[in-house]
Amino acid sequence: MLSRLAESLFWIGRYIERADDTSRIVDSYVHRIVEDPFNNEDATCRSLYAILGVPQPEHELLRNEMLQTIVYDEKSPNSIAGALDGAFENARRSRDFISSEMWVALNTTRNELRSRQRVAAGLGPATYLAYVRERCALLAGLTDATLSHDDGWQFLLLGRNLERIDMTTRLLRGRIAYMDASPDWMAFLRASGAMEAFMRSSHQLNDPNGVATFLMLNRTFPRSVLYALNVVDAALREVQSSNQLFDSGDAARETLAHARSTLEYVDEEELLTQLPALLEMLERTCYRINDAVTDKYFRHEEAILWISENQL
Amino acid sequence: MAVVFDTDSSGAWNEMFSAPGQARLIYQRLLADLDAQSVTELSQRADQLARTFIDRGVTFAHSGEERPFPLDIVPRIIGALEWDRLSRGIAQRVRALEAFLADVYGPGRIFTDGVIPRRVVTSSPHFCRQAIGITPANGVRIAVAGIDVIRDEHGNFCVLEDNIRIPSGVSYVIENRRAMTQTFAPLFSNHRVLPVDSYPSKLLAALVASAPPKAKNPVVVVLSPGVHNAAYFEHVLLARMMGVELVEGRDLVCRANHVYMRTTTGERAVHVIYRRVDDDWLDPLQFRPNSVIGVAGLVNAARAGNVAISNGLGNGVADDKLVYTYVPDFIRYYLGETPLLDNIATFRLEDADVCAEVVANLADYVIKPVDGSGGKGIVIGPQATDEELRDVEAAIAENPRNWIAQRPVALSTHPTFVDDRISPRHIDLRPFAVSNGNEVWVLPGGLTRVALGEGELIVNSSRGGGSKDTWVLSEDVPVAPPVSAPTLSPALLGAPQQNDEFINQDEEQQ
Amino acid sequence: MTESLLLQIRHHTGFRYEGRAKSSYNEARMTPQDSPTQSVEQTKLTVRPVVPTYSYVDYFGTVVTSFDISEVHDILEVESLSTVRTTPGVVESPIEWRHLFDDAFMDSMSEYLAVTRRTEVPAATLERYDEWRNAPTIHDAVEAVSAFVRERMQYVPGATSVTSTALEAWERGQGVCQDMTHVTLGILRSLGIPARYVSGYFYPKKIAEVGETIRGQSHAWVEYFSGAWTGIDPTNGIGHTERHIVVGRGRDYGDVSPLKGIYHGPKSTGTGAVVEIVRLP
Repeated sequence: MLSRLAESLFWIGRYIERADDTSRIVDSYVHRIVEDPFNNEDATCRSLYAILGVPQPEHELLRNEMLQTIVYDEKSPNSIAGALDGAFENARRSRDFISSEMWVALNTTRNELRSRQRVAAGLGPATYLAYVRERCALLAGLTDATLSHDDGWQFLLLGRNLERIDMTTRLLRGRIAYMDASPDWMAFLRASGAMEAFMRSSHQLNDPNGVATFLMLNRTFPRSVLYALNVVDAALREVQSSNQLFDSGDAARETLAHARSTLEYVDEEELLTQLPALLEMLERTCYRINDAVTDKYFRHEEAILWISENQL
Repeated sequence: MAVVFDTDSSGAWNEMFSAPGQARLIYQRLLADLDAQSVTELSQRADQLARTFIDRGVTFAHSGEERPFPLDIVPRIIGALEWDRLSRGIAQRVRALEAFLADVYGPGRIFTDGVIPRRVVTSSPHFCRQAIGITPANGVRIAVAGIDVIRDEHGNFCVLEDNIRIPSGVSYVIENRRAMTQTFAPLFSNHRVLPVDSYPSKLLAALVASAPPKAKNPVVVVLSPGVHNAAYFEHVLLARMMGVELVEGRDLVCRANHVYMRTTTGERAVHVIYRRVDDDWLDPLQFRPNSVIGVAGLVNAARAGNVAISNGLGNGVADDKLVYTYVPDFIRYYLGETPLLDNIATFRLEDADVCAEVVANLADYVIKPVDGSGGKGIVIGPQATDEELRDVEAAIAENPRNWIAQRPVALSTHPTFVDDRISPRHIDLRPFAVSNGNEVWVLPGGLTRVALGEGELIVNSSRGGGSKDTWVLSEDVPVAPPVSAPTLSPALLGAPQQNDEFINQDEEQQ
Repeated sequence: MTESLLLQIRHHTGFRYEGRAKSSYNEARMTPQDSPTQSVEQTKLTVRPVVPTYSYVDYFGTVVTSFDISEVHDILEVESLSTVRTTPGVVESPIEWRHLFDDAFMDSMSEYLAVTRRTEVPAATLERYDEWRNAPTIHDAVEAVSAFVRERMQYVPGATSVTSTALEAWERGQGVCQDMTHVTLGILRSLGIPARYVSGYFYPKKIAEVGETIRGQSHAWVEYFSGAWTGIDPTNGIGHTERHIVVGRGRDYGDVSPLKGIYHGPKSTGTGAVVEIVRLP
């Protein structure tokens, strides 16, 4: 398929997932600020910035500014509105490929968000964030149901799961780094959408090791890092075989294989102590896979503005 | 409750009625069906039509905004016999234009034989000197043509304009039919209407036929300027229905005179480009160097016979309004046939005598710039202000070759559902013809455009017009004749319309 | 005195980039062809970086060589090497003035009578219109116009650029052969004399020594129609001699640019055209 199209679908997957995950995280953090009277608002907001990779401001950081930056700012790819805008722009460029239902859903979401933002200014972000999660679920469902599961869909799946790994990794790093400033483990699980699944597994609540193990290593929960890595691997394999590029190696799959085996052979008892190193490794893995896939499949030019020249 | 029908009492030909209250044979069944609907039911169907369009994203960019292109619920019907005559006339015209282009970009016999002055062609801004030496593999330069016709006061079809560069609008034809069959299915059960859904496969076959002979499995692409283009929806639809890639300039690259598409499997050879990008923007090496939507080196790749550009380069030299006046001569000269379709009587202002006569009576003519499009620059004499007449007189004096004049012609009218009434509105027709090198196939029907404003003449989409589903019947009578021909009581006849006699204009993006 | 010369011409030109250019698409018009006044014994065009080239003949009959470069490069060089046997142009009896104004004639010559952006001339150039128009023959008128242009415009290299128009050069009163040709074309066309732009080379020395390499010029002059296409060189005040080698023809400079193209990359400067001509025995 067209490189430019593949890249657009990849980013639609990433951006929608980003919006979804960010809204969960912000929701739990905002709850913490509101529910806990002893909470240090500035520290909590800063920990959130750290997770999402937003530069820390010099001045005191309060809730409203944090929400504007991370939720409502349409121009920033780190914010929820910005991520959905990015998905929309990419959908526009791949309109010949995505289904009309997806297009309509994205279009409607974008328009709705703007009016909901005005409401949220007065009533707080909870319903805005809930709407985001609902729409992301709808979009994910539409992509899975209305796109043929061929190359295009594989790239979208790739993007979605790569972003998921990235976000889960960031979340865990934030939890460790800002232990006091971040929500407790229960809220943390909720933020990851993992609460009920965790409870049904054999792990105990308030067992940090158990939570970390669940989120990193569980083989059946779709938001776990290992699960997502397997999905990414399967997608890469599909794409490679259908595109039959006769490369000697596949940088993305190699990086991924290394990450997978590292995780598979981790001693669960030791997980917490090894966590910082593992998370760093995972973050690097995500960058590498992104670059390798871009390099291999998305090589295309932006429209060139030619310079003309004349000589005697 | 019966719907109120208005009839028209100006001189324009009425598509549905041969006399007040007397419907033409092919419309009698439709009239009965519509009569049986109430205003509410019709309104509901109209709303439903609009909704399906919005949902499917069938839009047209109007003043920068995407808006649905209104589809009227009352279809336009053409009988089988009449269609046979009309489609043969369209095909004949396309064949003559094709021969003209081959001659103009080849031996130029028509100049030496004095049928048309050489300078008419060489002074046209669309005359493409780079096209000399580029011979299409199957000889076809006009894979798709949109020949706009109107029906005059006597009920004869005549040609308003030829569009053979990048004619657009067929996506509306396809979507209109889809929407009508979904929302107004009962109408179809009483008529045998020729289908329109074979267009994409016919177009694909024609494109494949134009591929370089050495390409065993020719790869065809649709080249679009991108999402911001007014007709982007059509590019998407056609690419999807033909099952080919929709590309933009930056997805293609030319190396050593071969064209490739950048895919996830690497660079893939491209053999036929159905381009929806104008000549001027197509190749920054040959034309505008600041084009970002073209492909550098494309023209020489076509010259080397490695890629087919469809429609061909420089076709604009034949759909120029001045050359239009010579097309009946082309039919006689190249085909040795009598034109089946007439032009509207047109006067060339570059002729000094003609110019003097016209300028002396400007208010009686419709004055059109030769290189205008989308209705811009046209002055409708009888409706123009003194200032407008003075301005156009000055413009004519400055460059007479750039102007033609036509006598106003009354466009035919067709009942149209507007503001809860069915009233006459002016319409035209754009049939689409596809050439594969062996035959010219005309899509049954085409795009009927309607001016929605009462008495309005400008029917194209960029000026707020709408369209109608256009039916060609497989036989001249409807399937089930009505029990009795409906007649209208005088009380139901509406007030006479404004004296609306003028010509409609051209589509912006062709 | 008429003479036939065997000349070898080396024309080297190109572009240098401040850094590296990523890709470029180019067309060169540097290949002479056979005609009544010249016979081409050999001609070769080389390009560096080495890439496949493709040749064709354009609308005006000029040989074009096109090529594209997709590798990164910091310089583009094009060189043509040709061996041409030349003879002076023959000036035949001209047609009568009135033939120029025949409708069919004007129509067939319309491209060489039309005003172009580069050849549009101001009214001031036509101060001697009546005098020229009443010259005994077309040849006389053309020679007078040529002398007029030489008189009124100074030959000053660097005063204008490849993009300059007749209007600009006239107002400056200075220019090079390209400008003087454009002005002459504008005047001749105003008089109703079809005229076209000729680009090629000129051997600047009156007496050509065998084996002596002379720094020549990429040159421009005029051909006008007086029953046959006849050459006149307003810059040098002569007709078409054995020292002229034709490469291309067109309506103005835009149709015959020796090397033009588009590229994707940093700023570029021309390497400067070098033309060397040697008379062979």
